[in-house]
Amino acid sequence: MMGGEDYRDRFEDIDWDDMQRSGLDSLTTQTAGFLASLGVVALLLVYDYVVVANDGPTFTTPFEWDVTQLDWLLVVTLLTVVFFAVYPLYDNPRMSRRYWREFRKNRAAVVSGVFLVGIFGLGLVGPLFIAKPDLNVLAQYQPPVFLSVPESTVGTCVGPVSDGMCHGTWQYPLGTTGQGKGIMKSVIYGMRVSLEVGLITPLIIIIIGTAVGTVAAYSGGIVDELLMRYVDIQLTFPTFFLYLLLLYLYGGTLFLLIVIFGITSWGSTARLVRSEALQRREEEYIQAAQSAGASEFWVIRKHLVPNVSNTVITNASLLIPSLILFEAAFSFLGLGDPTVPSWGQVISAGRSDIDTAWWISTIPGVFLFTTVLALNFVGDALRDALDPRAED
Amino acid sequence: MTEPLLSIRNLKTHFHTDEGTVRAVDGVSLDVDRGETVCVVGESGSGKTVTAESITRLIPEPPGEIVDGTVRFDGEDVTAMSEKQLEALRGGRIGHIFQNPQGALNPVYTVGWQIREAIQLHDKKAKDKEARERAIDLLDRVGIPDATSRIDDYPHEFSGGMKQRIVIAMALASNPDLLIADEPTTALDVTIQMQILRLLNQVQEEFNTGIVMITHDLGVVAEVADRVVVMYAGKVMEEGDVYEIFENPSHPYTRALLECLPGRGEKMSAIGGSLPSTTSPPDGCRFHPRCPYAVGDCEIGEQPPMYAVDDGDHAVSCVHFEPGADPSVVLGEDGSDAVGGARADGGDETGGDAR
Amino acid sequence: MSSDAPLLEVRNLKKHYPITEGVLKRQVGNVRAVDGISFAVERGETVGLVGESGCGKSTAATSLLRLEEPTDGEVLFEGRDITEYDKKELKRFRREAQMIFQDPTSSFDPRMSVGESVAEPLTVHGMRDRERRRRIVKDLLERVGLSADDIDRYPHEFSGGQKQRIGLARALVLNPKLIVADEPVSALDVSIQAEILSLMKDVQTEFGLGMLFISHDLSVVREICDRVAVMYLGEIVEFAATDELFENPQHPYTRALLSSIPQPDPTKRGSAVELSGDVPSPSNPPSGCRFHTRCPEVIPPEGYDFEQKTWRSVMDLRVRLGRDGVNAEAVREFVASESGQEPESVPADRVRAEIRREFDIPEELSDPRAEEVLSTALRHLANDEQAEGRELLAEEFETVCESSAPELRRTPAGHVASCHLVSEAESNAVSTPSTGD
Repeated sequence: MMGGEDYRDRFEDIDWDDMQRSGLDSLTTQTAGFLASLGVVALLLVYDYVVVANDGPTFTTPFEWDVTQLDWLLVVTLLTVVFFAVYPLYDNPRMSRRYWREFRKNRAAVVSGVFLVGIFGLGLVGPLFIAKPDLNVLAQYQPPVFLSVPESTVGTCVGPVSDGMCHGTWQYPLGTTGQGKGIMKSVIYGMRVSLEVGLITPLIIIIIGTAVGTVAAYSGGIVDELLMRYVDIQLTFPTFFLYLLLLYLYGGTLFLLIVIFGITSWGSTARLVRSEALQRREEEYIQAAQSAGASEFWVIRKHLVPNVSNTVITNASLLIPSLILFEAAFSFLGLGDPTVPSWGQVISAGRSDIDTAWWISTIPGVFLFTTVLALNFVGDALRDALDPRAED
Repeated sequence: MTEPLLSIRNLKTHFHTDEGTVRAVDGVSLDVDRGETVCVVGESGSGKTVTAESITRLIPEPPGEIVDGTVRFDGEDVTAMSEKQLEALRGGRIGHIFQNPQGALNPVYTVGWQIREAIQLHDKKAKDKEARERAIDLLDRVGIPDATSRIDDYPHEFSGGMKQRIVIAMALASNPDLLIADEPTTALDVTIQMQILRLLNQVQEEFNTGIVMITHDLGVVAEVADRVVVMYAGKVMEEGDVYEIFENPSHPYTRALLECLPGRGEKMSAIGGSLPSTTSPPDGCRFHPRCPYAVGDCEIGEQPPMYAVDDGDHAVSCVHFEPGADPSVVLGEDGSDAVGGARADGGDETGGDAR
Repeated sequence: MSSDAPLLEVRNLKKHYPITEGVLKRQVGNVRAVDGISFAVERGETVGLVGESGCGKSTAATSLLRLEEPTDGEVLFEGRDITEYDKKELKRFRREAQMIFQDPTSSFDPRMSVGESVAEPLTVHGMRDRERRRRIVKDLLERVGLSADDIDRYPHEFSGGQKQRIGLARALVLNPKLIVADEPVSALDVSIQAEILSLMKDVQTEFGLGMLFISHDLSVVREICDRVAVMYLGEIVEFAATDELFENPQHPYTRALLSSIPQPDPTKRGSAVELSGDVPSPSNPPSGCRFHTRCPEVIPPEGYDFEQKTWRSVMDLRVRLGRDGVNAEAVREFVASESGQEPESVPADRVRAEIRREFDIPEELSDPRAEEVLSTALRHLANDEQAEGRELLAEEFETVCESSAPELRRTPAGHVASCHLVSEAESNAVSTPSTGD
């Protein structure tokens, strides 16, 4: 036998009796990073509830930020996305490049992607620097900049008036509502709402749905039966009425909406994941792992979950726009959180003034429309890019 | 001299992909007569299936495209036909049998319904009752026991071998002149494979059909072929009468293919190297990077033309068989064959020289 | 290891799957996928398990590795019954016995680099040193004929043959004593098969592995196995040293299987024995010898004089009567449509003739007593008296192949085979088997 090179380490030299300690296998960078970040968030949460005065803002520097329940949830969601969606892409540049090559083929999706990054980036950062839009009776019905309306429509024109026409100003670039709220600020806050609805709810749905779906598929038998019958029951469950009930009991909050929909709408995702996982379970690599002695948990986590992720992402890409529309519809009907300026709420606020002040409903409407459209484009392209059949 | 039933000349079918143009079939010529079985044999990636699909233009266009060559069926140029004419041809005068009978049968219809459909698609005048009787007759002929009662069964009620018989019955429904069978027995067990091969032979004698059989299995070739076309990387390496090919295999690739067959009681030798790139194949003979007899001439220019071997129905695309060249480079010093004929005495006895 | 026990010994292994019906999952039967097989694999030896699809060879593999719980029987690994292993012992066993799979594409997780796939068993068994794992995998990849740089590539970047090399590396990485290879080369081109087989041989010799090689392809088995077991419908019908088996097959099924392999030699065309019918369902296997429904050498009934081929045809009729039955109505309809008559006006003798034609039975049997029984039975059939016809044939034409299951016994040729013909040859000590009377 030859082989004098240094890196050689031969399988037949392993002393397995030396290695029979059981216990946690070494954490991957990914999990370790995630857990560490969660720890930091938990500490901050404790700090917020124990140290900071009840109504006081959590942070005062560099900006004033009173972290709400929803914000905490958003932070955790973003961490999850970073560690379980962004990090794997960074860690595996070959795969990422392949996905990008496929994704790039769809021009509309690339443009949509850039648009969405803008919208959600603004939604994420904007509210930290911009104060909430406030009531101002002196600035009702201001038209957007470069546009003008008859002075009679506007209570007090903030901008220049000429020929009886009130012109928009840079103070309110997108005009104001009948209550004098700046539409620009409202739209930016609305972006935050869409971001929260479109990210947190699907993530809750995905996590529960994937866990239930893969466990049901892999375990089979009675576990499968119990989980799927529960899903059947849940799918007949009127979430809408539950939300209404809680709304009347405790008042509507965005947090409530997100959490209620998150924990009661994962049924169809679980089913989808289960059927995909049932197919994957038959693959020989699953059997290979089993015959190497891998535990049930190992097989599910290392093989089943990664291999159903395409289905999950596809599913999420359909969920996100529909959830955003859902929230808009709720707010439009006045069932949303009255304190949160979501797009649906602004659209609703302007609906009686559509003749005279068309921009109030139209501008957030356009944002809603383009966002949902862009999400659909990106979803389509993602589906194609992740389609394993496209892999050469 | 009459024209052959099917005549393919210099067929080139290419696929335009992101990675470049895949030259799946790159200048293939072959003829099939009535009542004749021609086997196209090759490994995966040799272009044998694309050749078969090009005959009735079943290849997806795009990305596929027949860039050059002619396919003449009974005197008519298939490459110039309209889609409508092609539809009449497929499943009409040309029947197809696929590798996987599971996929060829629709699970929601009874087999009787499917055969009747095949009959009525090409014989619009056939009444339901008449078509049903013909369907029963076809099932009986392909060896489905108790055809009258089984005609109303669904595909899943039949075994794999029985399904393949039904697919053959469907292909025969229109009384085709030519059958194209793409690996018809690969998915079947050996004992069932033998049944199907015999059935095809019997069908051919009865209907005098020409058969193009695509296969990777040289054993199957020896069992059914009249003529053989050996393909490699989109090109024809060797062709000729089945006895000629097996008794006197001449192209180094054919010889290597025979030598790597397992279970002959002789040492198997692998073909080193791997298939050439389909998008930028090597110059000269496609096989030269893996050929033990390659010389400088093999690496330049085009694939060598088909040179006749021994004046028989046997031609080979190899520079060593060019008139004036010395074929013994490939065939060995005494010119006798070292491979194919060695099995003529049968594998039952222990070879005296085998250790 | 001081133990004298074989590396692996399988005793009367059974794996049955319940067939359930309805919402309440009531059990209505059993698929007897593996139905009592016994064999042993010694260290450094390759044993082949061959048979057609559905014969239970793959189920045998998963059951004897306890990837599925066997229904019955013992599997002794180095003398200890693995069906009684506890969790810890089972994990140890998972290290010592490895599998190689058929489909090189599906046997690798497309989301893991091949390095991760090969190293996975190491991680599972507790090797935490990532760098060491990589060193071992790199070394191993080179030893199976790939490059150490391939460690970070993904399965789809490899050809089928390369993937099968990686599969072998994954099976070796835990330094096992036993490898079970389930059709490892059947998905590969014939030019690649040779490379993989010789690599497997080399590896086996180098490490003295015991190997169970499962395949439907007798030619491949001949290349690599020391001994071969032939399976039919969940049972082993013949077990012998490879050369012995190929040169002097004792069981008619082995003979049929061997002759069904198309030879790459056109001069031997048409020499194969053609088996009639399909493999019966393992949920309801035939009585007696399970092969009697297809066996070309099925033993004729005592007291009658049959030509073997004719007897096979009559037997086919009997088998059909016992399973689906012969529908006289349908035969009448068929004759009617062939001759353009109304079904009602088809005479009974035409129906009888048609049944004979369908089963390839001559118009008259050579033995008049047999002919009488057959024509009486056919008359019953034509009159829609199926039960009578069936019982008459079953009673008169009783064959030992159907009534009693042959034992696996040692034949004069030194094989183990289960066939009534073989046991006859032994007890009579006559070398020419008499099939006439």
